[in-house]
Amino acid sequence: MKLLSDDGLHDIVNESWNAYGQFTYVTNWKLAFPADYTNLNGSINSLLPTAERSFTGTATLYLGVKLWTGAEAYLVPEIISELPFDQLKGLGGAIQNSELQKGGTETPQIYHSRAYLKQTIGFGGERVVKESGQMQLGTTYDSRRLVLVAGNFSILDFFDKNAFDIDPRQSFLSLGFLTYAAWDFASDARGYSYGAVAELYWDDWAVRYGRITPPKNPNQLAIDFRLFKYYGDQIELEHHHKIHGREGIVRLLGYRNHEDIGRFSDAIAVWEADPAKNATTCPGFNYGSDNANAPDLCWVRKPNVKVGAGMFAEQHLTSDIGLFARGMYSDGKTEVDAYTSTDRSATVGLLGKGSAWHRPTDVAGIGLNLGWISKIHAEYLALGGIDGFIGDGAIKAGMENSLDLFYSVNIRKSFWLTGDFQHVVNPGFNQDRGPVNIFGLRLHGEF
Amino acid sequence: MANFKSRCIRSACLAFLIFAACPSHADAQQVTQGYAVERFYPSAPGAGWFVMDDVNLSGGLGGAISLTTSYSHNPLVVTSPDGAQRLVLVSNEAFADVGFAITYDRYRFYLDLPVPLVVTGNSGTVGPYQVTAPSLNVAQNPDTLSDVRLGFDMRLLGDPGGLFRLGAGAQLLIPSGDRADYVTDGRYGGMFRILPAGDIGRFSYAGQFGVHIRPDEGLVLPGSPDGNELLFGVSAGRKFALRNRWHLIVGPEFFGESAIHSSSRDQTGFEGLLTGRLEKMSDRPHLRLKAGIGHGIVQHFGAPEWRVLVGVELVSHRPSK
Repeated sequence: MKLLSDDGLHDIVNESWNAYGQFTYVTNWKLAFPADYTNLNGSINSLLPTAERSFTGTATLYLGVKLWTGAEAYLVPEIISELPFDQLKGLGGAIQNSELQKGGTETPQIYHSRAYLKQTIGFGGERVVKESGQMQLGTTYDSRRLVLVAGNFSILDFFDKNAFDIDPRQSFLSLGFLTYAAWDFASDARGYSYGAVAELYWDDWAVRYGRITPPKNPNQLAIDFRLFKYYGDQIELEHHHKIHGREGIVRLLGYRNHEDIGRFSDAIAVWEADPAKNATTCPGFNYGSDNANAPDLCWVRKPNVKVGAGMFAEQHLTSDIGLFARGMYSDGKTEVDAYTSTDRSATVGLLGKGSAWHRPTDVAGIGLNLGWISKIHAEYLALGGIDGFIGDGAIKAGMENSLDLFYSVNIRKSFWLTGDFQHVVNPGFNQDRGPVNIFGLRLHGEF
Repeated sequence: MANFKSRCIRSACLAFLIFAACPSHADAQQVTQGYAVERFYPSAPGAGWFVMDDVNLSGGLGGAISLTTSYSHNPLVVTSPDGAQRLVLVSNEAFADVGFAITYDRYRFYLDLPVPLVVTGNSGTVGPYQVTAPSLNVAQNPDTLSDVRLGFDMRLLGDPGGLFRLGAGAQLLIPSGDRADYVTDGRYGGMFRILPAGDIGRFSYAGQFGVHIRPDEGLVLPGSPDGNELLFGVSAGRKFALRNRWHLIVGPEFFGESAIHSSSRDQTGFEGLLTGRLEKMSDRPHLRLKAGIGHGIVQHFGAPEWRVLVGVELVSHRPSK
């Protein structure tokens, strides 16, 4: 768009349309690691202790158009090819690559990740310049405004935006840094939802609310459009501040999901009352465990509520270095429906650009990602149960934590090559397994 | 070890060749694969007609976006070779096509993203063929795109708004979606078209002739095309001037495809549409509203019993005066 603008063919400040694209290839190598047991008694969700390679390749086209005053429409077709470790099983928030999708295949799949309308209603205040970019027309808004969004999108397009506005495809690789690992936001298996979001910006403050569709069955692609029966609600309060002239943001987020999901305590109670109702006999949707002596959530899925609350803060320490932290506590009573198995999470990280060594477009980061499961969740896993991602057949419950180090080199104008290392302790929240070392490379380009 | 591996590979290859060379039992029921049934390929955004192209390409950098929704009834009916059995394999098919076009001077690049909304039908057995109906809906397939089209058109001869223009276009079809849903061929395809068009006073016309490059897979389903197809079509309409520079253009469009490999009668689908579009003649970005209703004149593979179409376009390049 900038090239067209430079040639006088496009107004990039007040855009009527724009088009951007990206491609990202990520490959990871997991080294062999120690494990006291793997897929014990027919359970199926262990991360295999053998060395493995995983990859994702994505390409995305971001199309935006201005329809009328204050109205913008965006359509984002995307293609993905992927090979996860062990069909994405055995890890909670420490899944090593946030590009991975549930149910993905090596055969490339094309889909529309986003198709939504956005209407902005100005209420005055200062003029805020928004630069042209992916899913953003170059324009100016009032600092006091109401933004209404409806359609198909990722809730992360509006809530808990990534630290320092750095594209996740140029930042940490691990899933735990994409957002709160404990936020089981409603979405399909790829991470996208249908629904609506309302945002009210008032100078340094913003409050947003969204209602979105959950999957029809946990962690599957089909979605349930009955938004008054099954839904994910979230509300977020945001404040921008300056400390010693350096910008920072604080956000509080709360969510409440009403979904067709199973409670761990119910699954245990049903199985204890009648051992015939185990993980191998349920006729409904299940994950296919072969453990005949284990409870299963399949027997107890019904409309249930899941709630959680979290806090995020980021602070620029210098013009090029920033510190961020986020943490969330979810109730941990019910199974994962859409994101990952973590019930409580905390991350802290440091991100910096390479200005000090004369490479201002390089990005480096170091982060710690911590995750826990609830007591009843651990009890269910200890009895041999599985959820959408974890379940080794037994468990000595502990905190799953991972250290993520990366350096992203700007090799040409719009191309970055990233080297990454992750050290995961207690994979799948199980002290009897790991630690796991994972190396990664990422090539990312934008146009 | 290397010799053993080599022998294994040779043995496997030999076994495969023997297996592949064996004729299948004619009596056994044959299970068929799905293919892209829809033969309504919306024209590029800003191209005027639903299928044809007015090739009115001129001016500076411009563009258009479009949303075209279509519903077709009974687009694929399978009849046994002896004509005794008949099965409506695809009975309901609805798409929403989202298109983006960028134009400059006499050139146009565009992208068409077809979103299948509903594709349903009836399973059954027709003669020796066992077929399974598609079952696609937005809830089950919330983000499916069927074969994405990337296109390039150019005006070769004639002036915008003139008596005769000749254009040419090419499209790349990128496979997407599930063959079982009858929304994709599962392979890359292409189209090459010659596009005559013109304006004579209050009348406009356009046509297309070309070839659709499709995979040749030996499809055996009766009445289904296999491999490359010829594309043809013609449209004509009259302009009615309304108030405030609004115009209504009404006229028919006829289009079809005919399988090249077999020119037998049931290898051609041919369809007629009565279309109307309402637009404001303006140099500024303007809306174009389109509607159409159609009937399969020769109802084979994708030419339905009837079809309804509604489209809306936002066009920012200058239309002909």
